[in-house]
Amino acid sequence: MRLLAVLLERKARCGFNSLRELTPWEWARNAAFAAAGFFMLMGLHHGFLRLLRFLDGVPLIGPLLIWKLTAVALLSTFSMVALSSVLISLTTLFYSFDLPFLMKAPLPEPVVFAEKSLESAFFSSWMLLLVLLPFLFALGEVRGLPWTFYAAFGWLWIPFALLAASIGMGFTLALMRLFPSSRTRDALWLLSSLSLAGVYVLLRLSEPERLARPDILQRVADYLRYLQAPTAPALPSWWLALALQSFDGVRPSGAAIFWGQSALLTGSAATVYAGLLWIAGKTYGEAYSGAQESARSGRSQEVLPTPESRLAARLSSWGLIDGQQALRFAASFWKDRRTFFRDVRHWSQMALVLALMAVYLFSVRNLPLDTPDLKNLVAFLNIAVAGFVISSLGLRFTFPAISMEGRAFWVTRCSPQGLGALMAGKFLFHWIPMVLLSMTLIVVSNRLLRADPFISWLSAGTVFVMTATLCGMGVGFGALFPRFNTTNIHQIESSAGGFVYMAAAIGYIALTIALEVLPVQMHFQQRFGISRGWDAAALGLCALGLLLLNAAAFLGPWLLGRRHLEHYEEK
Amino acid sequence: MIKVAGLTKRFGSFVAVDSLNLDIPRGEIFGFLGPNGAGKTTTVKMIAGLLRPSAGSVQVAGLDVHARTLEAKKRMGLVPDEPFVYPKLTGVEFMRFVGDLYGVPLQTQARRIPELLEMFELRPWGGELAESYSHGMRQKLVLAANLLHEPEVLILDEPLVGLDPKSARLVKDIFKELSRRGRTLFMCTHVLEIAERLCDRVGIMISGRLVALDTLEALRFGREGERLEDIFLSLTGGQQYSGLLKYL
Repeated sequence: MRLLAVLLERKARCGFNSLRELTPWEWARNAAFAAAGFFMLMGLHHGFLRLLRFLDGVPLIGPLLIWKLTAVALLSTFSMVALSSVLISLTTLFYSFDLPFLMKAPLPEPVVFAEKSLESAFFSSWMLLLVLLPFLFALGEVRGLPWTFYAAFGWLWIPFALLAASIGMGFTLALMRLFPSSRTRDALWLLSSLSLAGVYVLLRLSEPERLARPDILQRVADYLRYLQAPTAPALPSWWLALALQSFDGVRPSGAAIFWGQSALLTGSAATVYAGLLWIAGKTYGEAYSGAQESARSGRSQEVLPTPESRLAARLSSWGLIDGQQALRFAASFWKDRRTFFRDVRHWSQMALVLALMAVYLFSVRNLPLDTPDLKNLVAFLNIAVAGFVISSLGLRFTFPAISMEGRAFWVTRCSPQGLGALMAGKFLFHWIPMVLLSMTLIVVSNRLLRADPFISWLSAGTVFVMTATLCGMGVGFGALFPRFNTTNIHQIESSAGGFVYMAAAIGYIALTIALEVLPVQMHFQQRFGISRGWDAAALGLCALGLLLLNAAAFLGPWLLGRRHLEHYEEK
Repeated sequence: MIKVAGLTKRFGSFVAVDSLNLDIPRGEIFGFLGPNGAGKTTTVKMIAGLLRPSAGSVQVAGLDVHARTLEAKKRMGLVPDEPFVYPKLTGVEFMRFVGDLYGVPLQTQARRIPELLEMFELRPWGGELAESYSHGMRQKLVLAANLLHEPEVLILDEPLVGLDPKSARLVKDIFKELSRRGRTLFMCTHVLEIAERLCDRVGIMISGRLVALDTLEALRFGREGERLEDIFLSLTGGQQYSGLLKYL
């Protein structure tokens, strides 16, 4: 216990020192992040408040509906914490940067495990807690619950999250002990990501918005008995739901239920966590040792032309590009392709991107739009949504591309390949899949919405150009704010540079929409028969504005980033 | 082969390298010594074209490194002090990538890559991802990759750190052979025994200034029987720390 306290104290000291070392700019940046996050949570709270007030107003079954929803929310949270814990504990328990030091120190393995497992539990649950809080505050407000409700939740959240995280950690530990190889790690990572993507798609396909529609609610009334039945009674989410519900007076003998369920939850968490520590005492050392071994892959040692070098040779034989430069460019592209697809973290992201695409198109299909004009308007506004999706993916993939060169950046930096070529290679590598994805989204959305030819072509053309500009911005800002010493992609994307990139991308999308409003307005006026024709001068100005905007948004960060990389060694 | 004239680098008011002049002929192994923070790595970065000097110039193979950077880089190889490579590329793929960057024809790569891997005893590991390599193996891989394009000048920053005795001996022999074949080697090292055995001339830098530049014989003149370590410590003032041992 004393050693665990020493380890936890070092964590606290590190955190405190990091805060003390923050520059005014970093304070300002963190404050901006916190403010943006707070406003997002406020928005969520507002949405939940409206939904819960509406449900509360449903005669007879209002409170039951609310508590059913709460039980479902807690069940989802429990599953998500457990799944996140599988992913996170894999890194924290087996590949954390400080583990070689800790395992060399005269520390008992269960102590190291305990410290790392608490870290895993925290990182698997804090974000889900943040999302759950607006819901609970809305619930407390709508049902007029006392302050003890919040205090009880604050206390019960700890065993709830620890229990869910322990399940995930136990799963990881068992797999790593039984199959201690990098292949297992990769398979585990991929399976967990696919599960997450599956949960995300299933949640969306269940059409939760139907609960808020009165016509559907009449059908819900038919399920009154279902509403009164427990939601997964064997799971801790139901125990927590019952404990919280006891403050509402929906069920009699509230205090007894609260204390009973709290004891069940706390006791189970303590038992499961103690069991996990006991098992870890017997298996963690061997599992850790196994995880450090790399499986021999035995890849080919033949030196053959790559598809990229063949294409480069062909293009240069036609005189389209300089042979040497093309070969270097092809080599960079090939290297990026190889390293990208071999990194299992990217597979999981790709699974989530596919899930996102499915949910996006499903949501477009389900939009309750009645008239063709409304559909056209939505198809136009869909440019902004598609732009936001591209910039979000850019934050995940394009922005970290330069930083992902990592400490091997010296290889290209010392070589006769210019930094411009390096950036161009990164751009092309990300632009090709991104444009395929964005064009799929926009073209299929337009088909689903039955947009007219003008809006279809305008949106497709805009998104095509927007994808190129956003990719250029991503590479440019990535070069302007590189983090070659960081291997964690999440740290790169949540850095100051990531924040600046997202802010610039959103500003660019907003300006693009603003510049296209006029032509779209003329088009609608024509549709409604109230137009005097197209104003060529105004259209020309809009086109010029778009040209200048895209040139500035692409070239500005690009040139600044390139200049920054050229002088990187000065830093 | 390497000409450094009045090379100066300032970071604000701090002078990291102060008016450095060097002229290293073809085929020489030049040892660049100095205590930590003396400005050696800054000098290496300026010679390799990674860092622009505040004043002065660097010429490699007759090319101004900062005016004709890419052409100069083609004729150089740099082995950094820490051998970071792409973890998700195999040894062969890493060499392949470096070969393409330096414009080495595919036929040459197909012949040279297995030869170089064999020479550095990495052949059985050529198809494995570099993430599974030890520090020494990565060091050897970086050395092998730097020989692929047959550079006229090889800049080496602590090239023997992490190598086992057998590999270290091999690498030293390779350096001697490269020198015999007319390649110029600029080597930063803290291992004075290596400088003593390998280098034709040594330069000692302290606080950004070159305080000694000559052959070992010339540096030893009048101090016969002393090792390079003694000369180095007398120049850098290392003896003053002997009193600190009382804290042991």
